[in-house]
Amino acid sequence: MVLFSRQKTERTAAAQAEVLAEQRGRVTVLLRGRLDVHTMGDLWRDLEARLRPLTAVSLDVDATQLNVSGGGGLALLRYLKAGGFTPAATVSVGGLNAELDQILHMFAGEDFESYRARRRRASSVLEEVGASLRTSARDLREQVAFVGRMAAELAGTILHPERLRWREVTRLCVTAGANALPIVSLLSFLVGLIIGFEGAQPLAQFGAQIFIADMVGFGAVRELGPMMTAIMLAGRSGAAFAAEIGTMKVNEELAALVTMGLDPTRFLALQRVAAGILLTPLLTVYTMFAGVLGGTLVMLSLGFSLPMIYHQMATRVHLLDICVGLGKSVAFGAIFSAVGCLRGFQTGEGAIAVGVSATRAVVTSIFLIILADTVFAAAGFLTR
Amino acid sequence: MSAQEDIVIEVKHLTAGYGDREILRDVNFGVRRGEVFIIIGGSGSGKSTLLKHMIGLLPPLQGEVWIDGENMVAAKGDARTQLLRRFGVVYQSGALFGSMTVAENVQLPLAEFTDLPEVAREYVALGKLKVVGLAGAAHQMPSELSGGMQKRTAIARAMALDPHILFLDEPSAGLDPVTSAGLDALIKELSCYFGITFVIVSHELQSIYAIADRVIMLDGQARTIIAEGTPAELRDQTTNVSVRRFFNREATPDQTIKTR
Repeated sequence: MVLFSRQKTERTAAAQAEVLAEQRGRVTVLLRGRLDVHTMGDLWRDLEARLRPLTAVSLDVDATQLNVSGGGGLALLRYLKAGGFTPAATVSVGGLNAELDQILHMFAGEDFESYRARRRRASSVLEEVGASLRTSARDLREQVAFVGRMAAELAGTILHPERLRWREVTRLCVTAGANALPIVSLLSFLVGLIIGFEGAQPLAQFGAQIFIADMVGFGAVRELGPMMTAIMLAGRSGAAFAAEIGTMKVNEELAALVTMGLDPTRFLALQRVAAGILLTPLLTVYTMFAGVLGGTLVMLSLGFSLPMIYHQMATRVHLLDICVGLGKSVAFGAIFSAVGCLRGFQTGEGAIAVGVSATRAVVTSIFLIILADTVFAAAGFLTR
Repeated sequence: MSAQEDIVIEVKHLTAGYGDREILRDVNFGVRRGEVFIIIGGSGSGKSTLLKHMIGLLPPLQGEVWIDGENMVAAKGDARTQLLRRFGVVYQSGALFGSMTVAENVQLPLAEFTDLPEVAREYVALGKLKVVGLAGAAHQMPSELSGGMQKRTAIARAMALDPHILFLDEPSAGLDPVTSAGLDALIKELSCYFGITFVIVSHELQSIYAIADRVIMLDGQARTIIAEGTPAELRDQTTNVSVRRFFNREATPDQTIKTR
């Protein structure tokens, strides 16, 4: 005898219950029909509604006419037996064949209670605070250690550039940089347009629309060019670094590197940071140009001539400004690529951890990029 | 009961492959109700490909797969969902969801496909876990479990909706002999107590002898079934070189340095 009857069981009627309440709290439940995980829900609620109000002293469950299909349906009998609906009653379940009876008794209410007890181990506020402090402290220590190691590796690379795996750097420059060119340029162009249009209105009140050229030129070269590029790359390529290294960690590829005697920082992170430092200024040149182009287009539509716009921009934007913009982009490139790698190395277990790493990479890099930009702006103001 | 009715899975003229690359050609066989059916073959012989076609993950290039008298290949929408619920699949790595506890993993199909109240779902899940011997680990995360425990959890999850067919992809891969033997015993028990039909991809010889009712062997070169029968028949009566090599664990000549 096996639990699945050899005929197709789908045609049999769904399980039903008949509740017979006798005097002095003696209750009998007659079950019939097919009981499986799909028919059990209705029966469960039905029995709950009918048995709960009764103050039963004893409960007899007769399953003689019950067709239990698979093992899932036994859950209801187990729940009845454990007194789930009738806590005060002594319960007996009869009428099952020997195999089913054996499986029924495998599992009892105690297993459920111990699961429930262990399932929700609520931690106190103090524990939560302590745990999060510990995580933050460890995170900080890892960051400091990583920055130190990275700086040492980069210094070593400048002395011995042949140690860098240039083929890998080239590949990363293509996927993380060259492929980002269209979207980064387009966004920068649009921002140039926006600044032009938004500036045109208030400046027109003073008859000073020619200064749109100053706004767009100065903004695109010193601020928006480097920052927009870095933020786009952090979201696009930094997240990719974190996900890639994180997946490698989950797949034990990092462990494989370590046992081969290769340092993951040197083997993976160094190439990515080098690629980040090389490609970000290059992309920034494009975004500067695209931003200026956007603003210029607005000015042309307002009736200014090209030589006029050029002259106005040239008197405001100097070579030094371009150098400052490119210098910032080098720092930003180092930030997003290093943060992406660090978050990748910090990945925990499983698919979720990879997602968490990618998210943290983006959040941390954007925060650090803007923080660094603030420092640059303050320093520029103070040294002027 | 006629022999015809007894077949729960029937593979008819199945040609399988990826794009232009044909891996299996014109494969025919049937799986009888309640038996432990094992698909064996060397690496690259198309075992996993065949399994993926049987469970409907990949569309065949040609041919049909019938489960319970319904065409898996042609089924669409609701009919397909209904058909998918008749069987459970245990993947090689377990494929447990890392963000959920063991009990939540088992409860997931119940929560999605039944209207059971929460207590009922937990009771069903714990019942399944008890059957595979893991009720005590129900509150743990999959990453805290050993490989054998993960496989058992995956089996419990595959059984959540009481399917009467279970597909297992390399259940003993990466397990030690003791754990592997424990898993074999579990499969045998589930087969006896619950009458579940098992379709297993394996190349673990000892496990094949221990649990298989019937075996088919695939071959990468022939791209089809080269032997069929009980493990003992295949071992003792075969004339095919590949089958003999498999059952006697012999290397092919090109696999040793001496003869290369």
